Amino acid sequence: MAALPKRIIKETERLSKEPVPGISAVPHDDNLRYFDVTIDGPAQSPYEGTLLPPFGGVFKLELFLPDDYPMTPPKVRFLTKIYHPNIDRLGRICLDVLKSNWSPALQIRTILLSIQALLGAPNPDDPLANDVAQQWKEDQNQAIATAKEWTEKFAKA
Amino acid sequence: MESPHPDERPQKKRRFFREESSPAQLPHVRPASPSKLQDSFNSAPSLSKIPVDNVVEHEGDLAGFDANMLQAVVGELPHATLVKLKDVSGSDVQRAVNLYLDGSWSSAPSYVSPTLPHPRVPAMQQTLANALKRTDSEASIASTPDSSSSTPIAPILKQMPGRRYVGSFGVTGWATKSGSGLLKHEEEVSIERQKDMPKQKKGLKRVVNLKKVDVIVRFINSRGEEVGRLENESATWISALLDQNVCIFKGTVVYTPDRLRTGDNVFLQLRAFFLRSAFDSRKFVKPEDNREVNLFEEKESSDERDLRRRQVGLVKLFEAINLTPTRQNASTEKHKRQGLLQAAERDEDRQKPKPNSNSVPGSSPPSEEAEEGEELEQDQLDSLYKKAQSFDFNTPEMDPANTFVMDLRKYQKQALHWMVGKERDESQNDKEESMHPLWEEYAWPTQNADNQAVPIIQDQVMFYVNPYSGQLSLEFPRQEQNCLGGILADEMGLGKTIEMLSLIHTNRNEVTKSDPSIPKSLPRLPKNSAVIEPAPYTTLVVAPMSLLAQWQSEAEKASKDGTLKVMLYYGTEKAVNLQKLCSASNSLNAPNVIITSYGVVLAEYGQVAKQDGNSGSHGGIFSLDYFRIILDEAHYIKNRQSKTAKACYELSAKHRWVLTGTPIVNRLEDLFSLVRFLKVEPWANFSFWKTFITVPFESGEFIRALDVVQTVLEPLVLRRTKDMRTPSGEALVPLPPRTIDVEQITLSEDERNVYDHIYLHARSVFNANAERGTLLKSYTTIFAQILRLRQSCCHPVLTRKANLVADEEDAAIASDVANGLADDMDLDSLIERFTSEGDEDVNRYGANVLKQIQDEADAECPICSEEPMNDQAVTGCWHSACKECLVNYINHQREKGELPRCFNCREPISARDVFEVVRHNYAPDDDAPAATQTPKISLRRIGLTGSAKTQALLTHLKGIRKQDKGMKSVVFSQFTSFLDLIEPALTRDHIPFLRFDGSMSQKLRATTLTEFTTSNKPYVLLLSLRAGGVGLNLTCAKRVFMMDPWWSFAVEAQAIDRVHRMGQDAAVRVTRFVVSGSIEEKMLRIQERKKFIASSLGMMSDEEKKSQRIEDIKELLS
Repeated sequence: MAALPKRIIKETERLSKEPVPGISAVPHDDNLRYFDVTIDGPAQSPYEGTLLPPFGGVFKLELFLPDDYPMTPPKVRFLTKIYHPNIDRLGRICLDVLKSNWSPALQIRTILLSIQALLGAPNPDDPLANDVAQQWKEDQNQAIATAKEWTEKFAKA
Repeated sequence: MESPHPDERPQKKRRFFREESSPAQLPHVRPASPSKLQDSFNSAPSLSKIPVDNVVEHEGDLAGFDANMLQAVVGELPHATLVKLKDVSGSDVQRAVNLYLDGSWSSAPSYVSPTLPHPRVPAMQQTLANALKRTDSEASIASTPDSSSSTPIAPILKQMPGRRYVGSFGVTGWATKSGSGLLKHEEEVSIERQKDMPKQKKGLKRVVNLKKVDVIVRFINSRGEEVGRLENESATWISALLDQNVCIFKGTVVYTPDRLRTGDNVFLQLRAFFLRSAFDSRKFVKPEDNREVNLFEEKESSDERDLRRRQVGLVKLFEAINLTPTRQNASTEKHKRQGLLQAAERDEDRQKPKPNSNSVPGSSPPSEEAEEGEELEQDQLDSLYKKAQSFDFNTPEMDPANTFVMDLRKYQKQALHWMVGKERDESQNDKEESMHPLWEEYAWPTQNADNQAVPIIQDQVMFYVNPYSGQLSLEFPRQEQNCLGGILADEMGLGKTIEMLSLIHTNRNEVTKSDPSIPKSLPRLPKNSAVIEPAPYTTLVVAPMSLLAQWQSEAEKASKDGTLKVMLYYGTEKAVNLQKLCSASNSLNAPNVIITSYGVVLAEYGQVAKQDGNSGSHGGIFSLDYFRIILDEAHYIKNRQSKTAKACYELSAKHRWVLTGTPIVNRLEDLFSLVRFLKVEPWANFSFWKTFITVPFESGEFIRALDVVQTVLEPLVLRRTKDMRTPSGEALVPLPPRTIDVEQITLSEDERNVYDHIYLHARSVFNANAERGTLLKSYTTIFAQILRLRQSCCHPVLTRKANLVADEEDAAIASDVANGLADDMDLDSLIERFTSEGDEDVNRYGANVLKQIQDEADAECPICSEEPMNDQAVTGCWHSACKECLVNYINHQREKGELPRCFNCREPISARDVFEVVRHNYAPDDDAPAATQTPKISLRRIGLTGSAKTQALLTHLKGIRKQDKGMKSVVFSQFTSFLDLIEPALTRDHIPFLRFDGSMSQKLRATTLTEFTTSNKPYVLLLSLRAGGVGLNLTCAKRVFMMDPWWSFAVEAQAIDRVHRMGQDAAVRVTRFVVSGSIEEKMLRIQERKKFIASSLGMMSDEEKKSQRIEDIKELLS
């Protein structure tokens, strides 16, 4: 494996030294481009568990930095099942900064914050999981209830 | 033997007078003066009173003549004869015997006279006179054994009779007349050359007569009538010996038909007598070594032809009279005469076939630097070297004198031991006198063909012949001091200079400081400064201009302070009288080392030659006999005919050394020139060399020739190569590692357009010519296109700067190019687009922008997290990042087909809108003011700092500066005009640089190099591949950048070795810039394919080079 670019080293260091509240990202020992990520569901959102983190409302993700990072964005995926119009069953995320609006000035930290923000503000008008978006539009309360239910069910330690 | 014929004298006389009407300038001719002879013949009756010079030196009184003794020796004689002999011989029996036997005692010797005053004499004397002048003047310079006899006449020569019998042999002749009674059995005939040769008399002596050389030799009966001629076979060499006043011959008829008819065979016995003049070394011209080459001269000068005829004549004579040497050198014995004749015959053949080509003067006159000899194939060279460098790792070492302060490696100490051994060579002095290896010793015969005793001359039992020069001598040719020097041929980078300096320190004449008696004789002018003075404390170093300064600094570095006085001699400083300065009497102040250049030697040689060889009074380099001479990079004199080589031969010294990494560049003759300079006998004789090396080699006997070369080299050469390993497997010189990276450069769009444009043009020209089959003819045009392509890889502007490429390989071609494409508007506009925009002044964007940029300067790069940024650059929306990151990101987006946007604000941006931030107060050493005052900055559009290559270079250089503030780098380009374009880019970025190229004067080069090596500044040295490829020592640098590939990597490797050589103590990184997808990549492929392109080493003729290159070009443009 090629030497790790300075940028990745620095980002990793900072993530552990100055962690973002509610977010953690730890690289694998055997692949420093591969991160285990957890994001706490934002407060007052359907993704906040009844048990507080670390016991509930904690979503696991995986994050991979491709070779040409930061020219290309990191690849991020939810591992924890989540009921969200912009996240599909496979955990894939629909977020502009992970696609066309990526900029090398963005970092792991900012991307994860964006994802956290996405949890707080689902956008059913730009869906990835169409059924969820449909539900969200037709019966938002029911959708939120389902989301809460799933959170209780899956997003726990 | 025969009775005189006094009655026939009148007829004889008439002939004499007729001949005398031709202006025979004889008075200045010494010893066997024919004029005196004539006197003696003309005034025959008074013979007894006139010293018969050709026979005896002086007359004595008549008392005590032992007739019995005489008769016991020569047989019974009539009384009258005895009386006469008494008279003539001065009662000396021995002399009388001599006189009697050679027949010259008689007053009417009709058979003696004819040969001597033969018609060629005047011309001949002229030559001799000239030659005399020349050898005399040379005598003071050269110390070759034959020219050193400046004494008027050797005493031993005086004792020699005017001629002396050496032997007899039979020849066949044929009659040119019919008649009876023309010849009788036992009749004495005289042997003469052609009488009238008007053509030759009129014609200039120097003009070589290409027609068959006239070799007619006549024999004349006792009545003075020409009867016939000798057969050509023998006449050829007999005529030569006659013409050159080596011999005379006297004949006796052995068989003749009673009635002669034209064409009848006549058998004669000839007795050969050496003339005394033949033994006079002062008259001998040795032409072959220092011959002048002028345009109209044929391959073989007339001098050389004379020499050849003389050689052949002597060899054949000895063969005919069956005289074999009583002593000769073992090394020359082996091949011997056969080879000599073979060589001579070959020359003869070579002259014959091409009278036509020669008759057109100036059609292809041999240029002065023309070299001879066949070129060596590379593998032959390799095997030769391999043989010559079997270096024994167990040779003893020697520690240098304590005034030498550098540490020597083991192999260098071994070199020192070897060199000191060579210089001291005691064994040679102890040995009893040994004969000069080129000479052979012969005994004078004691009996004639009839087994009768011939007179013996006191102390003259032997005579000596040098068959290679055709010289004869009565004196024992002593082996001159063996060559007390040699060839130090260690490969480049092994420290030849240091080894030599250690020798200078270790083996030197102690200054007489310790001897209080001598210093009292204070420096005084030598009374007669026409002679060369010994300089017993001085070593003369001759080196190429570019290395003078290096020699000086190395010499100073290697010496304890004050132990070595070093002087650079530029010749131009006329105030310096070297002779005064270096003479033995000035021992305390004499410089120990004088360093000068080949150019100076050549110039002073010319001056000395103008002063008729009066080298002493010149007071320059040639006025001294040095303790030691060292020729550095001695392949400078590889052509023995070049003036430089000749000048160097004339330098005199006790010890002579040559340093060269390549003793043979591509011809065996290259080595000869070195050997000639070293004065290694017998090999320093070109005739000898030719005989045993050139001729066998050219006739295909490679092994034999190379074996001989090896025997020449073995005692002379010390050569080690870098890749030699000690028995324990270690490298001789552990050099730090060297890495060579090829960096692919991508041209900017605009550059690419320029390149593509030229490429299309080049290919269409090539295809057009290929179709028409006129590739070779249009070579220049096509090659010019290639050159342009290569230039456009470096910098588009280069293709337009015809006037700047003056010192590059094909200046003429370049200007062709400029003219040919001057009307090419497309290209112009392309280049214009490349150059149009200049610097932007950031100030017009207002203070806050400035402030923002300023603030961000020390921040982390948002893209790569470098802190501070590498080469801060800003977008049009004023967001900062490293230049490289920014450019990469824009390219990345472009490649994905996206519109490039700012990484920060996502504003659309273009590559043109990226600016580099240039700080004008760049001062790496003082960091204080940066915080307090706002540095002036300006913005410069990226892509306009120069070509892709210059940018890549700048990126590297800046990166280096980050890592190591003091690191020095070297940048090579074959285009000095490209260096011109790199300079401003470096200036802009405040990178200190120096420049070194062929156009600089020696002094400027020296100061440049000194500055580069000694300064603490992290200099970048810009070098032209040409000027910097040889010899320089740039080990203070650790990084090398090759801006453009050369046709052969060997040339680049040489340049790299300037940095990666002995003395380099750190790893060396080399970066070769190559534009991807361009002709340069293809050039690399060609380099790969043939690691060794002969043309780059000058081993091909121009034509060969062209067709070779056409092949390459086909590949390049495919």
